[in-house]
Amino acid sequence: MINIKINNKEVQVSKGVSVMSAAKQAGENIPAMCWHEELEHYTSCMVCLVKDASTGKLFPSCSVKATEGMEVITLDDEIYEGRKTALELLLSEHVGDCEAPCQIACPAHMDIPQMNRLIAEGKFIESLQVVMHDIALPSVLGRICPAPCEGACRRKSIDEAVSICLLKRFVGDEAYEAVFKNLEIQPRNGKKVAIIGSGPAGLAAAFNLQLRGYTCTVFEKEGYPGGLLRTGIAGGKLPGDVLDREINNILSLGVRLILNENIDAGKFAAARKEYDAVVLATGNLSVGMKEWGLDTTEKGVKVNKNTYETSEEGVFAVGNALRPSRLAVRSVGQGKEAAFSVDQFLSGEKVKGEPGTFNSRFGRLMKDEFAEYLKESVPGKRFHPKEGPGKGFSVEEVKKEALRCLHCDCRKIDNCKLRDFSDEYKANQRRFSFGERKKVVKHINHDMVVYESQKCIKCGICVRLTEKHGEKFGFTFIGRGFDVVVGVPFNEDLKEGLTKTAKIVVEGCPTGAISMK
Amino acid sequence: MITDFQAIDDIIREKGTTKKSLIPILQSIQGKYNFLPEEALKRISEITEIKPADIIGVASFYSQFRLSPVGDHIIKVCVGTACHVKGAMLVYDAFRREMKLEEGQDTEKSGKYTLEKVSCLGCCTLAPVVQIDNITYGHIASDQVGELIDDFEKQKNTKVKSLFRRADGSQIKGEIRIGLGSCCVASGSGEIREAIEETVSGSGIQVKLKSVGCVGMCHQVPLVEIVPNDKEATLYAKVKPQDVKDIIETHFNAPNILTRLKNKLLNTVETIQTDSKWEGIQRYELNVREKHVSSFLGKQVPVATEYRGVINPLDIEEYKQRLGFKALKKALKGLSPEQVIDEIKKSGIRGRGGAGFPTGVKWELVARQKNDLKYLVCNGDEGDPGAFMDRMLLESYPYRIIEGVIIAAYAVGAKEGYFYIRAEYPLAVKRIREALSICREEGFLGQNILDSGFSFDISIAEGAGAFVCGEETALIKSIEGNRGFPHIRPPFPAVKGLWSRPTLVNNTETFAQVSYIIRNGSGKFNRIGTEKSKGTKVFALAGKVARGGLIEVPMGITIKQVVEEIGGGIADGRKFKAVQIGGPSGGCIPAHLSHTPIDFESLNKLGAMMGSGGLVVLDDTDCMVDIARFFLSFTQNESCGKCTFCRVGTRRMLDILNNLCTGKGKKGDLEELEKLAEWTKIGSLCGLGKTAPNPILSSLKYFREEYEAHLNGVCSTGKCTELITYSVNEKCIGCTLCAQKCPVDAIAFKPHEKHEIDTGLCIKCDACRQVCPEDAIDVT
Repeated sequence: MINIKINNKEVQVSKGVSVMSAAKQAGENIPAMCWHEELEHYTSCMVCLVKDASTGKLFPSCSVKATEGMEVITLDDEIYEGRKTALELLLSEHVGDCEAPCQIACPAHMDIPQMNRLIAEGKFIESLQVVMHDIALPSVLGRICPAPCEGACRRKSIDEAVSICLLKRFVGDEAYEAVFKNLEIQPRNGKKVAIIGSGPAGLAAAFNLQLRGYTCTVFEKEGYPGGLLRTGIAGGKLPGDVLDREINNILSLGVRLILNENIDAGKFAAARKEYDAVVLATGNLSVGMKEWGLDTTEKGVKVNKNTYETSEEGVFAVGNALRPSRLAVRSVGQGKEAAFSVDQFLSGEKVKGEPGTFNSRFGRLMKDEFAEYLKESVPGKRFHPKEGPGKGFSVEEVKKEALRCLHCDCRKIDNCKLRDFSDEYKANQRRFSFGERKKVVKHINHDMVVYESQKCIKCGICVRLTEKHGEKFGFTFIGRGFDVVVGVPFNEDLKEGLTKTAKIVVEGCPTGAISMK
Repeated sequence: MITDFQAIDDIIREKGTTKKSLIPILQSIQGKYNFLPEEALKRISEITEIKPADIIGVASFYSQFRLSPVGDHIIKVCVGTACHVKGAMLVYDAFRREMKLEEGQDTEKSGKYTLEKVSCLGCCTLAPVVQIDNITYGHIASDQVGELIDDFEKQKNTKVKSLFRRADGSQIKGEIRIGLGSCCVASGSGEIREAIEETVSGSGIQVKLKSVGCVGMCHQVPLVEIVPNDKEATLYAKVKPQDVKDIIETHFNAPNILTRLKNKLLNTVETIQTDSKWEGIQRYELNVREKHVSSFLGKQVPVATEYRGVINPLDIEEYKQRLGFKALKKALKGLSPEQVIDEIKKSGIRGRGGAGFPTGVKWELVARQKNDLKYLVCNGDEGDPGAFMDRMLLESYPYRIIEGVIIAAYAVGAKEGYFYIRAEYPLAVKRIREALSICREEGFLGQNILDSGFSFDISIAEGAGAFVCGEETALIKSIEGNRGFPHIRPPFPAVKGLWSRPTLVNNTETFAQVSYIIRNGSGKFNRIGTEKSKGTKVFALAGKVARGGLIEVPMGITIKQVVEEIGGGIADGRKFKAVQIGGPSGGCIPAHLSHTPIDFESLNKLGAMMGSGGLVVLDDTDCMVDIARFFLSFTQNESCGKCTFCRVGTRRMLDILNNLCTGKGKKGDLEELEKLAEWTKIGSLCGLGKTAPNPILSSLKYFREEYEAHLNGVCSTGKCTELITYSVNEKCIGCTLCAQKCPVDAIAFKPHEKHEIDTGLCIKCDACRQVCPEDAIDVT
């Protein structure tokens, strides 16, 4: 046995173990990307840097053995900066999107590609569940949303954007009954939230808080719910019965709606006492609201951008109360996000808001890359509903249109070390984003996996795994230095490279370069 | 398409079927087909145990290997340091225009010529250098590439005689020594030898014709030394074939011609030091005792280069007469391995490969390992694009190196060894191969050497073009037949090296100094040098110095002494700006610090490094940002790609430098560059990445104002072409030469009038400025 000190803490480890595993024994998890438990250390990513306390020198902890009397520091400012720099260098050659551009563009941050794929498979209920995770009013928005997502859609640069908004409308209209029947609703927790305003922001907040176990009361100054959705939509684009249906669905969860209740400073103060939290979804800032004791600007109530907390504890504000806007989807998104903060606040947690995870992005798709992205899609411009845009898609049409989606989002979005560590170390992908980016290639000629070499960070895990498991061809490094790529020798098919190791290689890959189909 | 695999099968039968044979197999296949046909590679995987992943991994790693066909002839433009500072890129661009190559294309449409950049041909004093097949051209200007190709077309079919003729020893009137180092050969010593043979055989003069290795005076090649039996020797520099008859007759017949030549010399002694262009090269006699030349040799102390210019590289009898193998006999017969190590330790010698690890300590570590098989590797993978010491030592003193190697093997108990030599050094490989076989015949290698009971043999592993393989762990991987990926130390090769056995890896120059230490005792070596840096160091002195070449100087000599007393100061009357020491791992030391002694510690302190021994002198026309960019583009290109900081970090630093040199720099770039350089130093796996930032950091330290000027779009030296414009000034006499030379018709042909340059068309190739007789082209 060997005695070493990890962050000044004595630990006994067996002879021959690495500093990284010694640190693990001491409860310190050190980030690493090129390290794999089945393989010998390799010393490529340099994300596992730690410090020798006696010399102050940094070294890769995966590749250095613990020796008697060693003193190691596993995290300080310098180590943090080193890891962050390593990650930023890796990100500068990592050409890939975590979330698809459409999802990032969506003010409600809806998982659009997932919705599309489920629609294409005919799984409309599952698809609407994905939608409603972020959007409380799918049928409404499916009719009135200006669809910033379609502006960002990669398909747009090839021919025409996927008809995302109409797809959403279809599932909203088609599957709501089943979805509401199967909603996962937390038991009541006894806490009460007042929501002032029944426009899109207020409704979204109410829907999401009610699901989380809070008892919500919505105050509406008019004699009908819906706010601007009711009065501000021109041209009959939003039939009243569609709006009523979605409002009623939300109310059916137990949300109380009090109409004709005009909240003034006195009633606001009273509500703050009566309710555990208050969400202001009042619409544009009115003169009266300036008397409520909240910090405001000319445009609206001042809030923390991440948490929607106002200057008063327990009071949150969303939607047009922050600044005038005609983007209902933004209000719906904020309602959802504020619900997250209110939940943190009322659970006694630190209020941080909905976590925004790191996203790798690579910008425009180039002309010569269109074909690569089309490999996973179908050719042709967008479909238009036969019955006219007012009627929406038919079942056949909706599936065909959904198939046009290019699958821009990463398949390993929830299982990517590069993303997780980049998030943890607040890495900035653009720091070293000069120079040309690599070309996008998708190798899909394998039953189980997709290989995208431009996402590869050259950790060599796949090369070593295929060798270890006796693949005839396997993977190899081709070329040298910055231009090195990992591929199957002799340009053999991916099938020949991974005859038996597809699964373990996918599991081993620390990024989304190799992923399950 | 290969249909008959007989030739490939034969190669494999000869080289072997295991992984360690892979690189030799690939080299042979490429030797046959000029590239590596895919069918041939597949054939290897079918009939050997070597896996496809290894074959492709290795074939694509080393820059020697080509995976697609090339033209009939290969034009190699040397872009090593010395060539770079003398405008190699302008020459390269001129070839691209001449050959009408489109972007991404390297071979002419006709398939006749392929254009390549090479990092160093080892003829730095002839810079800029171009090699077509085996003919080397020196001092090329960008407007001469057309003539050069024409000349090659004429030359390529003439048979170059390589006959070496010896006269009858009894009737020798004297000796004629002809330099056979690469520089001499490149500058035409072959023709000179032919001319001498012709003259001698026609005249009946009985002299001994002798080939000698590199003398180090590479700026004066080709060299011919006449040594009459009864008179003092005379050294002739830059000899032309037509001079040969006169020279020989002067010494062995009529004396009057010598006087005539000498007078000529006195008037031109300064001009010959400068860089004459290819067509105008002047070759004159030069006596070794003349002031300039004797000082060139005077400050030097030959240890590794003992008897330079005197011994024939492969004449073992002569080596023995010059004290050769005395040290080996002394060690094997009179000293225990421990005593040998002790002597080496006491000598204070440190590794000459760059890092300066104490040699004796390394030997002791290997000696202490208990293992029935230990290896020894002589590292001759010289990769610094401005250095050629190892090449010169291997070519000129093969026996001295072999002697050092055997002594080391005896001391550490190694049974087998490898010479790892760059594939770009075919002459060195050939000499060592011949020397080894002669040593075996003489009983210096093999079983029971000199009846001492000690057995040792050594073979050659040829590198395949990868700078990183100079790093010992990568080198070992390469000998084993892998990609040259380094690994973390420990374990050190001394403990776990080649095929996991204890392995001693030392640099060629280190081995070349061993016999001197053992023969003369550690004290004699120890007295040379400084407190912590003992002995001598060989440098390749090149760049803007008047006299370049190979020098061996005592440690502790100052930079100023090297530049002024040995190098003869700066050429062309320019101002001394800096020296670049240590190549891609080293740094720039400014002129105001030239009193700095050259030793390991002093150089490190200044942010430079001894490195392998490249010493390139820069003058006030050199742009320091461009120099940093030059080295970074080299290391970036040579990074093996294994670790993040080196693979991506060097690339991103190069991106920033490229932006600076093309006017795209932006605020914050210098700070980011500095930060990234520091992190690349800290975070890289091996010495390549750890030292790659040195050229940047040292030039940022001493020449930051130049970087700042680039941020503002100004390159005061005019080296960064995108930041400059060409114009014609009032001195123009309307001679039209510039208009004739301009490759893009940016200058209208207007006899007797002041010419003008259309900056929209100008490609900044510098041809007009070079050709202008009136200094009428301004670069601003």
